[in-house]
Amino acid sequence: MPHSVSNGRGLPLLAAIAVALLFSAPLLIGLGGTMAPAFGFMPELAPGNGFAQLLDDPRFIPALKLTIKTGTIATLLVLLLTILALVCLNRTRWWRWMLAALPPLLAIPHAAFAVGLVFLVAPSGWIVRLFSPWLTSWERPPADWVVPDAGGWSLIAGLVMKEAPFLLLAAAAQLPRLNVDALLKIGLTLGYSPARCWSRLILPSLYPRIRLTLFVILAFNLSVVDMALLLGPGNPPTLSVLLLSYVNEPGFRAAASAGALILAVGMAIFFFAVMLVERFIAIVANRRRESGHRGHGSGLFRQVGKYSVVAITLCSVLTLIALLLWSFTQRWRFPSALPDSWTMRHWLGRSDLLLDPLWATTLFATFCCIATLIAAVVWLEAERLGAVKKIDWLWYVPLFIPQITLLFGWQAASLITATDGLWLTVAYAHWVYTLPYVVLILAVAWRELDPNWNNAASVLGAGYWKVLFRIRLPLLIKPVLQAMAVAVAVSVAQYLPTALLGAGRHNTLAIEVVTSFGGVDRRVIATLAVLQSLLPLIVFSLALLIPAVIQKKQQQHS
Amino acid sequence: MKALRVEQLTLTLPNGVKLCDQLSFTIEPGRVLALMGPSGSGKSSILGWLTGTLAKEIHADGKLWLGETSLLNVPTEKRRLGLMLQQDYLFPHMSVDQNLKFGLQSGDKATRERKIADSLENAGLTGLRYANPATLSGGQRSRVSLLRSLLSEPHALLLDEPFARLDSQRRQQIREFTWDACKKLPVLLVTHDKADVPAHADVLELEDNHA
Repeated sequence: MPHSVSNGRGLPLLAAIAVALLFSAPLLIGLGGTMAPAFGFMPELAPGNGFAQLLDDPRFIPALKLTIKTGTIATLLVLLLTILALVCLNRTRWWRWMLAALPPLLAIPHAAFAVGLVFLVAPSGWIVRLFSPWLTSWERPPADWVVPDAGGWSLIAGLVMKEAPFLLLAAAAQLPRLNVDALLKIGLTLGYSPARCWSRLILPSLYPRIRLTLFVILAFNLSVVDMALLLGPGNPPTLSVLLLSYVNEPGFRAAASAGALILAVGMAIFFFAVMLVERFIAIVANRRRESGHRGHGSGLFRQVGKYSVVAITLCSVLTLIALLLWSFTQRWRFPSALPDSWTMRHWLGRSDLLLDPLWATTLFATFCCIATLIAAVVWLEAERLGAVKKIDWLWYVPLFIPQITLLFGWQAASLITATDGLWLTVAYAHWVYTLPYVVLILAVAWRELDPNWNNAASVLGAGYWKVLFRIRLPLLIKPVLQAMAVAVAVSVAQYLPTALLGAGRHNTLAIEVVTSFGGVDRRVIATLAVLQSLLPLIVFSLALLIPAVIQKKQQQHS
Repeated sequence: MKALRVEQLTLTLPNGVKLCDQLSFTIEPGRVLALMGPSGSGKSSILGWLTGTLAKEIHADGKLWLGETSLLNVPTEKRRLGLMLQQDYLFPHMSVDQNLKFGLQSGDKATRERKIADSLENAGLTGLRYANPATLSGGQRSRVSLLRSLLSEPHALLLDEPFARLDSQRRQQIREFTWDACKKLPVLLVTHDKADVPAHADVLELEDNHA
């Protein structure tokens, strides 16, 4: 055993228990704090029968229907788009370009992306401007559609464009483990078309590996708040948005909690239904696989698929460019394709509006970045030393339970304990929602690092801390920095925890982007959204650059 | 069955190095051509070119015929060239039966079932029909992999170091099984082990990246 023996398993165990308790306590308190008012156990805080109030509201059923529609369709489209990208783009030159475009798209916060999408696809948006009047003959913005639309299609589009990169990146990370090239070679030489090789050989092995990510996306799509506020219809809104509006209505607190519980239970039922559908598809696929039918050439399908994926990726990139353009726009009259005049005024002249949210966001992000990294390392080290067992399911809990379900309860508890509005309360919530990503990203590399590195250092006389800081962390610098970048990105994007627990005292960029939308100058919102996107983009760039610089220096030394 | 013919094949790496230059050969049905040479001599690239899965960076020039039909512009899945690699690549999410059915051409259910039963019996694998590939020994996996290729009714068979991962005891047994099973097909064997080459085979040595 290495020098960790001197520390025994006691200290790592205690530290890991502390992390697990800090992580799970608010989850339990949140659930309890949501259930109690819903069932009438907190009449002072939430009077009335929540479920009855909810069912009496004529908006409830339409909101529920809209939520199921937008969440389901968006998730199905995310899956479809991912499969299309894999089947039609993998092993082509487009594949590398698309993979390169994914991390920046992932880093952009949801709210900022939603704002950009409105600027892109609205009747007065950039796409219409690019094709007007020379193709459309529109001299004024058309009145044929509105964004957000009543059917929730803008929200679906936003969710698909934002979540598909997440699933695609998860799938791409698994491909090297599946020996895709060899499977394709075997399948093709047995006479199957490339699309059939994917559907019958590769996807059945790939799907179980990306299933959890897909479920996280489904949970997110069914319960998202910030994107639904920006891109979803107003009447009825999605269920999460309706429930959030209850919190601000006196006497509706119990209804909000009851609705949050219904959302969580509904989501569980939904997961169960998806599992049944998966079983059915597996049975059908099994039969088809045995039939020996080779299928016809799928050239047209591959072409259509390829250009669909490329077009959607391009739209996502244009969304970001649209934001950037608006933030430097002085005047941009319809139907000009580009701004008529440019200015730096929104960046330099509005420091009152930008600096405070930037500072608040940076503080939370920095805290999250450091605190989640420490917690993740503590947990993974305890796991490595055998002090605790692998319990990855725990980290998925806040990703599967709707944020609104946990945070209503947490807010109720913070009101009772007079901790609402405290910086630490909000930072704690950010930490809880960031930690799962950091642990799960770091865990793969942490567990796979050859233990002989530790042993080699230990037999040279290095103690536990020296091995950790001089050997293990430097060897894992890439995943550590990536995990830190993800921590920043997740924290910067947090809207609901800040809105519900911050009591209006912490105006982060996420809060400013969402609350300013519709009421503030488009150019100022664009500037806020760009600023919100810049933070994670800078950190992601550093996470890529730093290991490269270190490697270059090491090569120079050698 | 038809002969597999390669005419004046030249494979060039992006840096200009030629993996093979003006290589030509014909394999008649029932014959085995052993392509031998050290690592990096281009043996696997030649197989890649034959199957249509050659890496895009490698420039290829040559002609490929199956009988009188040119295969050059035929997509991989339509060439009907069976392939066995060093690793058997039995699909882990399918049983032995399902792996074989995946290889078998579509058709009447009873005929397909009988073909599988017969081929497993010939290979001495009858009791393993519904087994999970993960539970098979290396030799059993090799035989199933070969059966899967043969059940797809290929016009020629390409073998890329198919015995390399087998232990010495199994190796001779599988070699005999393979040559017996493939006796009506043109077979191209890529190997660096002379013991793999059957007595009746023709041998083509690739040396220093030149044939």
